[in-house]
Amino acid sequence: MSYSRRQVLQSISGGLGWLALQALLGEQVQAAPKPTGEPAVGLAPRKPPLPARAKRVIFLCMSGGPAHLDTFDYKPQTGNKKHPGSVFEFAQFGESGLWISELLPETARHADKLCVINGMYADTGIHAQSFLQLHTGDRLRERPSLGSWVVYGLGTENQNLPGFISLNTSKSSIYSSSFLPSIYTGTPIGVNGEDMSKATINNMLSDHLPLSAKRRQLDLVQMLNREHHAQRPTEDALESVIQSMELGFEMQAQAPELMDISRETQETLDRYQVGKQTESVGVCKPSDFGRQCLLARRFIEAGVRFVEVNHGSWDQHKNHRRDLQANCAATDAPIAALLDDLKQRGLLDDTLVVWGGEFGRPGLTPEDGKDETGHNNRGFTFWLAGGGVKGGYVHGKTNESGAQAVEGKVHFRDLHATILHLLGLPSNDLTYWYAGRDHRLTGPEGGQVVKALFA
Amino acid sequence: MSRLTLLVGASFVLLLTAQPVLFAAPPSAEDVAFFENKIRPLLVKHCYECHATDAKEVGGKLLMDGREATRKGGESGPAFVEGKPNESLLIQALRYDGLEMPPEKPLPESAINDFVEWVRRGAPDPRVEPKAKPKPKPEANKASEFWSLQPVQNPTPPEVQQADWPRDAVDKFVLSRVEKAGLAPAADAAPAFLVRRLYYDLIGLPPTINQVDDFVADYRQHGQEALERLVNRLLESPQYGEHWGRYWLDVARFGESNGNDGLGRNPTFPHAWRYRDYVIAAFNEDRPYDQFLTEQLAGDLLPHDTPEQHDRNLVATGFLALGSKPAKAMNTNFEMDVVADQIDAMSRGFMGFTVACARCHDHKFDPIPTRDYYALAGIFASSETMWGTAAHENLTAPVTDLHVLKAAAKVPPPADFVETVLGKDSNTGQPKAPPKSKWAPGTPLAMGVRDKAKPADTKVHIKGEPSKAGEVVPRGFLSAFSLPDTIEVDTKQSGRLQLAQWLTHPRHPLTARVMVNRIWQQLFGAGIVRTPDDFGLYGERPTNPELLDHLATRFVQQGWSIKRLIRELVLSHTYRLASEADAKLLEADPQNLLFARSVRRRLHAEALRDSMLQVSGQLNLQPGAGSLVRHRDILVNLAGNLHQPSHQRSVYLCYLRSSPPPELAAFDLPEFTSVTGKRDVSTVPGQALHLYNSPFVVEQANHFARLVMKEAEQPQQRVRVAWRRAFCREPNEKELAQAVQFVQWTQDEVKSAEMAWGSLCQALLCANEFRYID
Repeated sequence: MSYSRRQVLQSISGGLGWLALQALLGEQVQAAPKPTGEPAVGLAPRKPPLPARAKRVIFLCMSGGPAHLDTFDYKPQTGNKKHPGSVFEFAQFGESGLWISELLPETARHADKLCVINGMYADTGIHAQSFLQLHTGDRLRERPSLGSWVVYGLGTENQNLPGFISLNTSKSSIYSSSFLPSIYTGTPIGVNGEDMSKATINNMLSDHLPLSAKRRQLDLVQMLNREHHAQRPTEDALESVIQSMELGFEMQAQAPELMDISRETQETLDRYQVGKQTESVGVCKPSDFGRQCLLARRFIEAGVRFVEVNHGSWDQHKNHRRDLQANCAATDAPIAALLDDLKQRGLLDDTLVVWGGEFGRPGLTPEDGKDETGHNNRGFTFWLAGGGVKGGYVHGKTNESGAQAVEGKVHFRDLHATILHLLGLPSNDLTYWYAGRDHRLTGPEGGQVVKALFA
Repeated sequence: MSRLTLLVGASFVLLLTAQPVLFAAPPSAEDVAFFENKIRPLLVKHCYECHATDAKEVGGKLLMDGREATRKGGESGPAFVEGKPNESLLIQALRYDGLEMPPEKPLPESAINDFVEWVRRGAPDPRVEPKAKPKPKPEANKASEFWSLQPVQNPTPPEVQQADWPRDAVDKFVLSRVEKAGLAPAADAAPAFLVRRLYYDLIGLPPTINQVDDFVADYRQHGQEALERLVNRLLESPQYGEHWGRYWLDVARFGESNGNDGLGRNPTFPHAWRYRDYVIAAFNEDRPYDQFLTEQLAGDLLPHDTPEQHDRNLVATGFLALGSKPAKAMNTNFEMDVVADQIDAMSRGFMGFTVACARCHDHKFDPIPTRDYYALAGIFASSETMWGTAAHENLTAPVTDLHVLKAAAKVPPPADFVETVLGKDSNTGQPKAPPKSKWAPGTPLAMGVRDKAKPADTKVHIKGEPSKAGEVVPRGFLSAFSLPDTIEVDTKQSGRLQLAQWLTHPRHPLTARVMVNRIWQQLFGAGIVRTPDDFGLYGERPTNPELLDHLATRFVQQGWSIKRLIRELVLSHTYRLASEADAKLLEADPQNLLFARSVRRRLHAEALRDSMLQVSGQLNLQPGAGSLVRHRDILVNLAGNLHQPSHQRSVYLCYLRSSPPPELAAFDLPEFTSVTGKRDVSTVPGQALHLYNSPFVVEQANHFARLVMKEAEQPQQRVRVAWRRAFCREPNEKELAQAVQFVQWTQDEVKSAEMAWGSLCQALLCANEFRYID
C-alpha cells in the first residue's frame, strides 16, 4: 500500500478530500485493496465535483508579453505622450462589435466567440518569473503546472495518450508536476525551438526492431509476466504493470499516427498555414505554429485533457511594429483555423481555449518616432473562447494609457481559479499535501472565480 | 461558520426533548476506526467552530463535540436517527436539503457519504463529553501528549506463544501483535528468494546465479551461519555504501545543480559530488549516526587530527549548502529562503518534523510556535552558506566563498577542456566567457557552511515578511519537549554544534526513532511509521510503537551503528518471511501493518539500471571519480543534454536538478528539492516506453545478447544462459520452447540472429520477474 491512512484522513479533512485521495490512491492504482471504499484512480477520467462547463483546455501560450494595446485593448491615440495608444488600426467585428486589431483579421472572424479580459494584471515584469507564475501560480519556485493540476483533478480520457502535452515548449518547470505524482507531469513535444515536424515524445520511437517484432516481443514479455503473476496471485500491482505495458505499446502505435498530419487535406494544411513561417522576423521565431494548432486539435479530439501550444517571442522591444506584425501573422490564421475546426466538430462547447502571455506592453506615441516597447504587467489582455464562457464579451479595462488595469481586474490566480472552475474543479480546494501542508494552484492567497465570464 | 439557524421556526422547538442518556455497548474497534478516520476530522474541521462547548456562540444550541450532546441534538431536534440516514436532520443539512450545513458551501460528496455511512452504522461515537471549559489549545497542540515527543521507552520484549519462532527481540514484538490478532506469520521465503532480497536490500544489485546456488547450498547445510556469512560479506562490500548512501542522498535532497531559480536559470554545483562521496564513505565506514549527523550540521566546528579528517568535516557541511534556492533578484527574502531550506532539511530529515510552517505563523497542527522557528533561524542565519559561484549569475545568487580542502587531490581540467556552454551578456546578447576563478585550476573545493564573524540572534519576521520585524528570539531549539540536560547555544558561535548535540542527545525523542524507522522501511518495504519524514500530527502513527521504541533504544545503546542495526534486522525471522501468504492473513492485514509477511517491491530507478548493466556484463564497479560538472560552472538550462553514457553505478550519475539522468527519469525520481524519505511508485506507460525504446535499454539488451551468443551455440542452451543471467534460474520447459520459437520467428522476420537474440534479451530485462523483488 502506498498511501497512508493519515494522508487519506488529512485529505478528507482538507476540504475536497476525494481529489487528493484519488491521487494518493492513484500512485499504485490497482495495487491495493480499498478499505475506504473510495474510487481508486490515477489517470482514469473522473467526474468533477462541480458542474463542468468545459472538459479540456487548449492554452495558446504567447511567451514574451503580447502587446495588448495593439491586439485587443483598443486605445485611440490622444496625441498626448503621457497617454500613448494603439499604433495599429482597430475595427469592430461581429454582432458584438468587439474591437480587434487590423493585425488579426482571421481571429476577428471569431469575435463573437471571444471572451476578452482586458483587466489582467500580474505581480512582476520579469519574464521568467511571470511566465512561471502564469504556469504554476508561483513566480519563484518550481511548482505543479496548471496542466498537471487539471489532470490531477480530472484524470484523462484516453489512457493511450498523455493527459497533458506541451508543444514547442521550453523549460521543464512549465510542464512539471513538481510534487504532484509524476503521472501528472506534462509530456513535452518539441523543446526549445526544435523542428516541430520531427519532434516526438521521448522514447516513443526506436528503429532497433520493426513494430511487428516489437509486438511479438511484448507478447513474450506478457506471457512471462502472466506466469510470474500466476505464481503471485495476490499481487495486484503486477496486473497494473501488465496493463501499462499494453498502454505504452498502444501509445507507441497511436501517438505517432496522431502526429502524422500527412493525411490531412491540403485545404486543412493551408488553413492552418502548416510550415508557412520558416524564418525569424526579429524576435518572432519560426515555431510552425500552424502545425502546433493542428496537432492540438488532433490531440484534443483524441481525448487529451490539456494541450499547451507555444509561440514566441512577443518580446518586441525594438522594431515593435515589424515584429508584432510578424507574430500576429504567424499565429492569426492557425488560431482561427483551430477555432473553426473546434466549432465545426462541436468541440468548442466543452473545450476551453485560452490565449495570452506573461504580461503586456506599454503603448506607443507615433509622433515621437519611437518603435520600442517595454514590459507591462499592471494591465494586459487574455482571451478565452468556448468551454462555457461568454462570446463577444469584454471583461475589465485598463486606464487611458493602457498601463494599468482599473476595472474587472483579474490576476493569474483568478484566471487559474476560473479555468479550474470552468472544468468543475473548486480551485481553492483542489489541494495536495506536500512537505507538511496542503498546496494548491492558487497559492495561500487563493483565487477569485470570475463568474462574469461565464455564459 | 454561522449558526445552525432554524428555518422552520418555533414549532420545531417542540422536538427539543432530552434524550435519555443511554450507555450502549461500546462501539466496535472497526466503528471506532471509522469514526476516528472519517468522522472526527470532519466534525473538528467543519462543525466545531459553531457546535462545540468552547465555540464563541453555539449555533442552534447544537453541540457536536461529545457523544451524548450529538445524540441529544439542538433547537431543531436530534441530529440524527441511528441507522436511518435519510430521516436524519444532520444528513439533510449536509445535503442542503432544507437546512444548509456547513453554511459556506456543502462538504464534498465523499464526506457526506461518510456521514451517511456513520449514521447508517448507528453513529458509533467513542467520545466523552468535554468539560465545560476545555483548554484553549486544540488537542493536537498539547505537546506533552503527542506520541512522538514522548521519551523513548525501552519496552521489554513481550512473551509469545510460538516461543521457538523469534530469533531476535524484534521478532517478539512482531509476533506478539500477529498472535494477538489471531493470525500466524507467513512461512519463510525460499532461500533463492531470500538471497536475492538480501543482495538488493544490502547492496542494490542482484546476485549471479552462482551466488544464488552457493548460498542455497550453504544455507541448506549451515542455516543461520550461512546467512550470517552472506550478510557480513555484503555489508563489507563497498557496494553497500553506494546503495544505502543513495537513500540518504534522497533524504538530504542532494542535487548537483540549483534547479530552476524561478528565472529559468539552473546553475551547476560543480563540487556537490564531494558530499555524495562523503555519504557513501560514511555508510561504508559505518560512521555512527550521531557523528554523521553532527558532521553534516557542524563539521566545520569539529576538531580534526588529519588533513583527511579536516576535509571530511568540511565536505559534510555541504548538506546545508546544496539546497535549491529561488533567485536573489527581486527577492528580499533570499537569505531567509536559504535558511528556510536548511531548517526544513534539518527538521524533516533528522527529526521527521515540519518546522517550516512556523516561518509565517505558529504551526497549526504541530506544537511549533513561530518563536521556535526563529530560534533555529538565528543559528543558520549566523552561519555563512557557501554554494560557490552559481555560474556567476548574480540575479540567481551572489558568489560565495567555498571550503578549500587540504588532503584532496588537485584535479585540474584536462588540457583540451573547453567550456562549450556559455552564458549570454544580458546587454549585448553575446556569449560571455566565464569569469576567472579566484582559485588555481583544480583546487579541491567543497560546498558547505561556516560561522559568521558575528553570530547573532534573529528577529521574528511577522508573517514571514522580513520588513515586519518582531521581537528578537534567542537562538535555541524546539520548545515542545525538554531533555534531561540543558543544552544552550554558545553565543560566540552560530549554535550549529549545540544544535547537533541537542539532536543527538540520547534522550532526544525524535532523532533515533526517525532514523531506525528509515532503516526499517528500506528493509521491510514500509516504515513502522509510514510517513518517514512526518512524525507530527498529520503523519502516521506507529503501527507498532513498542517495536519502534525498542529499535530506537537499541540503536542509541549500540553506539548509533547503522550497519549493526541493519545486520540484526536482516538476520531476524521477520525479515526472512515469504511475500506470499495465506488468504486469511492477507484479508486480515492487507496493508501488512503487522509485518507478518514480506512485501514485494519494484526495483527503483537506480537498482533497475544497475541490474541491467550487471546482466549485460557492462557494469563498471569502479567508484565514479568526481562528476560530469566538476569543471563546469555553467547554466544547465543553456546546455541541452549534459548527460553522458556511463556504465558506472547509478549513484555516480550526475543528479542535476530539473535535468535528471535520462536513464533514470522514467521511474519516479524525486525532484531532489526537499527531503524525500520515501519515493513514489507510479505505474505509467512512459515507463514501458523507456523499456521498449530507450537507447540505454536497447544497448544493454544487445550486450546481453552478445554474451548469450558467445557462451553457447544451441538455441536451447542460449535460452538457458539468458534465463540464468536475468532471472538466476533455469527456464521451465514451456518457457524454453516458447523462447526458442520466439527467436526463430523474430529471426525469420528481421533476418538477423543478433537482433533476434537482442529482442529476447530485452524482453527478459522488461519482465516483471526482473523488476520485482519477492
